[in-house]
Amino acid sequence: MEPPIYYSRTEFIETDTGNKVSRRATIAGPQNIILGGKTIISSGAIIRGDLRRSGPGHAVVISLGRYCVVGEGCVLRPPYKTYRGAFNYYPMKVGDYVHIGAGSVVEAATIGNYVEIGKNCIIGKFTIIKDCAKIADNTVIPPNTVIPALSLFAGSPGHFIEDLPESTQDIVEVQTKQHYARFQPLDRDR
Amino acid sequence: MAPNVLYHCPCLSTSSAPPPPHLASSSYNFHPLHALFFCEECDAVRCNRCVSVEVSGYYCPNCLFEVPSASVRAEKNRCARNCFMCPNCRNTLSVVPSDPPDAGDGRLSAPISTVGEPPFFLYCNHCRWDSSEVGITFEKPTGLAAQLQKLEDAAPDSLEFDRLKEHFEPIIRASSLSSSSSVAPSTSHSQHHSNPITAAASAALARDIPGVAKYTPHARSGRPSGKDRSANKDEMPEYKSRLDISHASNYGSGGGDVDVDFMRRLEDVSEVASLQQRWNYSWSTSIETRDLKPLRIPLHSKRSKRCPACTHILIKPEPKAQSVRYKIKLVAANYLPAINVALPHQIEMLGHISAEAAKRSTKAPVDGDKDARSGLQAGKTYPFHMSLTNPLYDPIQVRLSVQRMHVAAATSSGEGGTTEKARRPPFAISIPTTPFSVAPFAEAWEYEDDEEMFGLDDDELEARLSGREKETKSKSKTVGVLEKRANVTVVGGEVALGKEARGEVKFNMLVAYTYRSDDPAPSEGHDASPSKKAVPETKTFAFYTVVDLGNIISKEEPRIDPYDV
Repeated sequence: MEPPIYYSRTEFIETDTGNKVSRRATIAGPQNIILGGKTIISSGAIIRGDLRRSGPGHAVVISLGRYCVVGEGCVLRPPYKTYRGAFNYYPMKVGDYVHIGAGSVVEAATIGNYVEIGKNCIIGKFTIIKDCAKIADNTVIPPNTVIPALSLFAGSPGHFIEDLPESTQDIVEVQTKQHYARFQPLDRDR
Repeated sequence: MAPNVLYHCPCLSTSSAPPPPHLASSSYNFHPLHALFFCEECDAVRCNRCVSVEVSGYYCPNCLFEVPSASVRAEKNRCARNCFMCPNCRNTLSVVPSDPPDAGDGRLSAPISTVGEPPFFLYCNHCRWDSSEVGITFEKPTGLAAQLQKLEDAAPDSLEFDRLKEHFEPIIRASSLSSSSSVAPSTSHSQHHSNPITAAASAALARDIPGVAKYTPHARSGRPSGKDRSANKDEMPEYKSRLDISHASNYGSGGGDVDVDFMRRLEDVSEVASLQQRWNYSWSTSIETRDLKPLRIPLHSKRSKRCPACTHILIKPEPKAQSVRYKIKLVAANYLPAINVALPHQIEMLGHISAEAAKRSTKAPVDGDKDARSGLQAGKTYPFHMSLTNPLYDPIQVRLSVQRMHVAAATSSGEGGTTEKARRPPFAISIPTTPFSVAPFAEAWEYEDDEEMFGLDDDELEARLSGREKETKSKSKTVGVLEKRANVTVVGGEVALGKEARGEVKFNMLVAYTYRSDDPAPSEGHDASPSKKAVPETKTFAFYTVVDLGNIISKEEPRIDPYDV
């Protein structure tokens, strides 16, 4: 019963596994980025796969699970710190069914499954977000914060607001799947 | 605002029918479907307001350590590891060495967990508060909570409280031993408002009750039986406080002349700690911002929920703190059909907007615009769709009926009552009144990797598109069953808005569904109590919903609408 979200066929690239990536998104270092499938990268998003851990060999910088949505103008950047005098980037792992709202900046270390991040949020470095958590719109999560499972965070700095209902997992799964189904090309030939 | 449907939980009302939706009390009676539970024993909907809740485990929300319930009390419900809350902004604090080895990139790179130079202090990544401001530094970066707890325990209030406990403990023990008879009635009395199972659940509370029972009943009923037990009361030694309360303000707990002095010198409002900053403390503290101390983070709990009537468990989480799975999870969404409501003209409009946006390759317009273009206008008639999704493995027969807003008025709510604005709603709803079926839920449709599923989804969208086109062209039937697919049935309704209509289009709808429960054992087994296996039995369950179609926009702006009649 939801209206479809149309996109122009020319703008998006669809991969074999059903990922839909906007041509107007900036994907730096694509060889270091993993998309799980059926993930949508909206226009204007910036994903910094080029900020990899120093050292030889292949390194996964950002991995996204299935049915994720990276909203318009989002920035996904791996967290970094100087540890024992050496500056380094650390990988970012995002689970399945994760929705990141438009205009959010994410530098989390780990984001679990079924996580909803609102619009215009700032997720500080090395934040750990557990499964089924929700970040309200315009929230600022300071670095090194841990967000427990099934909790709603809001405010600046982000605080625990309330526990989410037990069925959050099912709701988010349905929503993200629906979103993917609704997201369809405009000039589809029937 | 999108149209929505909320479900009624009868726990607050005395009658089975919910209050009319325009009353403020209505919103307390209705909940989204996913927030409701379902008790199989009672065959009833339960909500978060009526279930009884018990703690099944404690954990620290920061380090996620699962705290054994035995040590929760000793640690005073706060994390006893290295988790602290900034007194200024309530953010989590990190432990930093006093002199970051690499000062080049400044404070922001400070939270390094390597061992640095002592003394260590706590630092807030958000507001840059640090614990050296209040003179708290540590020699080692470990075991900080123990050091802080010592500080907490040394607070005059804390000592006073311990003294009070010490003072009353022998009396409580004596009374619970001697007068176990007085305990029984008192416990039952204290649980009068809740129910027996909460008693079992809060065993810890019950343990403390003897002491309470000792002193409260004396005022009321203690007289006759008080003779033998009041001896205890007389024996009770007089309590002498550790400190004279009139000088309490001198010990840093706030209040009195100290505060007056402080206020006199006050130059900036931010020097006074806000209520929010202070109410996390266990004890009363100074009102000065600069005196705020770091706090150990309060623990969170996982909770299991029980039906208030039959005490059956509705929610039982897995013991692991961060697991989102449940051992028992009886949610209403698995029993009641899910109802979604939509206004086709609104969907079409939103589709258009999104299509336009895609063509122009711009971002979707702001919500306000959408509202204005797809709202409900007074004096018009709009069709609406309701899709019912059957979660059961049996087919169901559904019958919908609109609850009459005022029993005395209008013979049927289907007839427009625009004249009596105050008495009747300014709109009329017509929905199909004959029962219709919704096919059973089948696991097969859930195979997410099945390409066909997406094919089906596309077809469905197309079907809807074409259906809509048909509708606009031929004005075919809008009321009745429109579509059946998988375990979803879409029915159409119509809302006629009065000329003078304003406010929200909201109405209560009774949903009754009948299902066959011929094999109670493997299926959902709703009829656990009178399960007659031999007879294929049909059962009916009815519940109320409130359907909110959105706000009526005023008639000022005339516009072209495909449904304009």
